[in-house]
Amino acid sequence: MSWWFEKRKDELDEEIRVHMALDIADRMSRGESREQAETEAAREFGNAALVEDVTHESWRWRRLERFANDLRYALRALRRSSGFSITVIATMAVGVGATCAMFSVVDGVLLRPLPFKDPGGLVEIHESGKKGPLSYGSPYLDIDQWRQRSRAFSQIAFYSSNTGRASFLEGTAGTLHVGSATVSANLFDLLGVHPALGRGFSVRDAGNSVKADDEHSLLLSDAVWRANYGADAGIVGKTVVMNGERFSVLGVMPRGFTFPFAGSNTNGMPLVWKPLVLKDEDVLRSHNAAPYYDALGRLRPGFTLAAAEAELKVFQPDVVKSYSEPRDREIANSISLRRYTDSLIDGDVRKALFALLGASALLWLIACLNATSLMWARALGRRRELAVRSALGASRWQIVEHLLMEGILLSGCASLLGLGLAAGILKLFQHGLETQYKIHESLTLNLPVLGALLALTVAGVLLISAWPTFAAARASIDTALRQGSPQQGMGRAQRRMRAVLVVTEIALSLTLLVGCGLLLRTIYALKHVPLGFRTEHIVVANMTIPSYKFAGRDMTTALYQPLVDRVKGLPGVESATLLTDVPLGNTFRMIFTFSPKGNSADAIRRAAIEAQFRAVSPEMQQVFGFQMLRGRFFNAGDTQTSQAVVVVNRAFVRAYFGDDRDPSKILGENLVSLGKDRRALVVGVLDDERQVSVAQSSLPEIEVCIPQITPESMFYKVAEGMSMDLAVRSQRSISLITPELREALRTASPDLSASTFSTMDQVVEDSFGSQNLAAHLLEIFGGSALLLCLAGIYGLLSYLVAQRRQEIGLRIALGAQQWNVMSLVLRQAGWMLVAGLGIGLGMAYLGTRALRTLLYGVKADDPWTAGAVALVLLVGGLAASLVPARRAARVDPAEALRAE
Amino acid sequence: MMGRNGYRNRVELLQGTLDMLILRTLQWGPAHGYGIVQALRTQSGEALQVETGSLYPALHRLERQGWVRSEWKQSEANQRARYYRITATGKKQLAQDLSRWEQMVAVMGGILKSTPTE
Repeated sequence: MSWWFEKRKDELDEEIRVHMALDIADRMSRGESREQAETEAAREFGNAALVEDVTHESWRWRRLERFANDLRYALRALRRSSGFSITVIATMAVGVGATCAMFSVVDGVLLRPLPFKDPGGLVEIHESGKKGPLSYGSPYLDIDQWRQRSRAFSQIAFYSSNTGRASFLEGTAGTLHVGSATVSANLFDLLGVHPALGRGFSVRDAGNSVKADDEHSLLLSDAVWRANYGADAGIVGKTVVMNGERFSVLGVMPRGFTFPFAGSNTNGMPLVWKPLVLKDEDVLRSHNAAPYYDALGRLRPGFTLAAAEAELKVFQPDVVKSYSEPRDREIANSISLRRYTDSLIDGDVRKALFALLGASALLWLIACLNATSLMWARALGRRRELAVRSALGASRWQIVEHLLMEGILLSGCASLLGLGLAAGILKLFQHGLETQYKIHESLTLNLPVLGALLALTVAGVLLISAWPTFAAARASIDTALRQGSPQQGMGRAQRRMRAVLVVTEIALSLTLLVGCGLLLRTIYALKHVPLGFRTEHIVVANMTIPSYKFAGRDMTTALYQPLVDRVKGLPGVESATLLTDVPLGNTFRMIFTFSPKGNSADAIRRAAIEAQFRAVSPEMQQVFGFQMLRGRFFNAGDTQTSQAVVVVNRAFVRAYFGDDRDPSKILGENLVSLGKDRRALVVGVLDDERQVSVAQSSLPEIEVCIPQITPESMFYKVAEGMSMDLAVRSQRSISLITPELREALRTASPDLSASTFSTMDQVVEDSFGSQNLAAHLLEIFGGSALLLCLAGIYGLLSYLVAQRRQEIGLRIALGAQQWNVMSLVLRQAGWMLVAGLGIGLGMAYLGTRALRTLLYGVKADDPWTAGAVALVLLVGGLAASLVPARRAARVDPAEALRAE
Repeated sequence: MMGRNGYRNRVELLQGTLDMLILRTLQWGPAHGYGIVQALRTQSGEALQVETGSLYPALHRLERQGWVRSEWKQSEANQRARYYRITATGKKQLAQDLSRWEQMVAVMGGILKSTPTE
């Protein structure tokens, strides 16, 4: 565009030259001398530059030219004071970076649209009753009743899914671990998603089960199709082998479709969908007999969530009447609905995220206030320059335009730099984000993030250049010129405004720092919760078990025992154990419930016990080093042929007996049977330990011994066939031992080599969850805020000292002591700090409420934290003002007065 | 500052009529800026000297409005010059301007020539 502009300018020049030349030629032909002709022509033409100028303005590009000029001029002005520019840009970039990073997290977790048709109309249906909403799903018969009776739902689909990558799909590129879901035929239709290739499952009847023809077929996710079959367009109709079974491929789902696995980390997750074909047990009507499914409905237009819930609640008691056991009716006689979109993210996590976003916005505000303060100082120093410019003919509007351009440049550069910082922050917290919020991507520049960035940039421009431009537009030229020396700075009102800025900064920083302090105390409290076991020097491998390869064999003797023996033989390994899930691992959970006999009060209470179920090796005690409260743990003597035994924990005893009776009473009780005629006795009571999260106290737990489990046992499938962790205690470093462990796993079964490794310390840290991530983020935000705030105090006081040099010199000349002068400056710092801290404490009191759900072991209005933080700020602030104070005290009166 | 503003004022005063005069001149055939000035001077019997400071902005404005079009050509004196040519819309505009001008002349004439009655 500017090229075009230059060309037109040249053309105009030439046009004017030609005009003159023609005139001169005419005059000469009329007999005038060349000299005379030239003077006359020039006189007649008038001011050529003015003609050009006026003509330019008739072009539309005039505005653009002025913009380009402003830009050039602003660039030059900023380059000249590069120290100032870099400071402002860096300051604002910190704020923009933090806010942008947090916003992209919030965007990724909360705002990203789901790849379904009208996701707002999707509702999860849970049965509910005495125990609250049941998380494990509902049997087919109930779901079918809802479908027949409900008017609020246009469709109800159901599915069951195994989480993790528990299926083994053989493909052209080897065996792939895939997640699989078994879905009713109408699910995809309900979601409004159709296969990108091939077709979906065909519906057999009104009950939405799948046509028997489709029973041995499956749909592939886009990721599987690409990874395992090289995106073969002719895949439809081909036969694939999964878990040793043959399936024909019906179709491929569109990219990004991962239902029922949610969260953005599932984008590239390999998945397959199998058709749900009803079996005989689906029509059974007693506890635990029929399989449970997750039910998902689509609201008919015009029905609200509340209306749908009310409708289902009316006939649910009727639905459960068909259960034979009254207990089964009691736990499912009501309904609880939840929007699918709400189920994706925990309310607490949502609150925490918004709190963090708020914190980052505070940091941004602090950064902007700091930058504003700097801009003021600069604008005051430039008053003369601007006055000279306007005396030379620049209009007010031009000066305002120019100052705005500087603001735009500074804010724009800060935003670019901030974008880089945001990417860095996200990279730094990648692990936490992945484990907590299932966010995998780094910074994605999508529309909302760019929009937020633009908004921040514009708001930044307005904030930092508002006052300078306003002042420039009002300034009168002659006073500025007459006032002379540039350091004859600001008036009383302006000084006060800058102080207000600093006070605001202090208050906001205090708020952030109190939040940070509370979370640090939470982390401290969490780290000092007695876990009940040792965590150091333990490597954990999370294995996916290819149980189909061991069909017909006893996995205990064929896979597990040899594996543990081999691992124990590795150099440096002290002990190794298998267990279905390490404490706090949360990769695999099993709940054990009693099948009560009789109707005694005890039996009823026992039926309500839900115990964590875990299968472990006897070596577990050596690896984790926990205490036995009573009795003994499993040992090498517990084998397939010896007396079957189980171990429970203290919480179980409490739940079982209903009070804190002597735990030894439970020893010798018979709670379960490991198989036909293998009644298991309780031989020991574990002391309490944390199983689910550090913040959650001990849950009832029952443990069985892996070497005792045989394929005939009712626990065999759940205990050995799905998920297994290998925990190894070794003093060697994890990086050395991991390859050896992987090799040992590979030798045991090639599919195990894909296991994931971690350390027990890491598992514990991950289980701190949101707190840990939030604390680390707030450490950064709070630390930056503190630095900015101290820089703000330092900057203002330095400026004031420089401005009052003569006055201070005079005071010293008149006999003021060093201390008097210093206290002059420190008093100023003091009142700003006191005011800022006072306001800040109030704001912190209100602001930290948002963090309440994240806190553990400390209250949101904890006075000690607030006090300590205020003290830190006070000391820091006074230290920052000490430098300018001493500078003031060292003013040489002779020199300062001579300058007057 | 004063200088430029004064200049602009004069341009504005002339604007309506100058546009018309330029278009009228171009009806005789394409011409360059100097040619237009000369033509107006001869036709007005040396009475009208168009300011270049008004002429060039006016030409560029007329071009932007699509009433004239310009191109670089060799002049009779074998010099490269920018020639302006009136367009079809320009001709239409001229006809409109002319009729409005005649109307105005008639109205003004009527007022100015009437003798005051006592």
